[in-house]
Amino acid sequence: MNSSFLNKIYLGQSAKFEKVIDSDMIANFIKLSGDNNPIHTDLSYCVDRGFENIVVHGLLTSAFFSTLVGVYLPEKNSFLRGIKIDFVNPVYPGDKLEVSGEVVFISLAVKQIEIKALVRNQNNNIVSRAKINVGIFDDG
Amino acid sequence: MNRQEILKQVEAIFRDIFDDSQLNIVESTNAEDIEDWDSLNHINLVVAIEKHFDIKFALGELQTLKDVGAMIDLMLKEKINFE
Repeated sequence: MNSSFLNKIYLGQSAKFEKVIDSDMIANFIKLSGDNNPIHTDLSYCVDRGFENIVVHGLLTSAFFSTLVGVYLPEKNSFLRGIKIDFVNPVYPGDKLEVSGEVVFISLAVKQIEIKALVRNQNNNIVSRAKINVGIFDDG
Repeated sequence: MNRQEILKQVEAIFRDIFDDSQLNIVESTNAEDIEDWDSLNHINLVVAIEKHFDIKFALGELQTLKDVGAMIDLMLKEKINFE
């Protein structure tokens, strides 16, 4: 097993990428999920409740945690086993998000890594954070 | 740390993983005794034990353990000097 994919992953390994939230993403997420709650669709409803704009679905932005694992860290040979997410601040249309993650634990016994992940907006405020458990196919 | 102290800490880990503050763990406790002890929670248990006791198990080492007592046997074998 010395040359296995899992053995090439190391503590502190990290990756990040950026995404800008546009109105098409929100419309597509509403179409996909059926969640058309006014907090995601009605500007005056949101402003009345103290928000600056309509609020982007938390699970839309957390889809980028899937991208983080599947495309960037560790990329291939991986699959999501579990994820715990906190939504710390609202995300608005037009926000530029930076999604980042770092490997903080590796278990060879169960072929799993743990990634601590963050999403920050263009003001460097954390909008969500996650602990992601990732299973590793060790035959790659 | 003696075997009983390890068991007490293992019990706390089980209570956290299975979200049951009343869960009582003894050495003979096995997967048939806890309904939610499925394959994913077995992984969660292994990872939580590795983190808590700063111990590393080998690949597949915990697949065939019959109960908590066997788990503690393995922990003692892997890390003799529990302090």
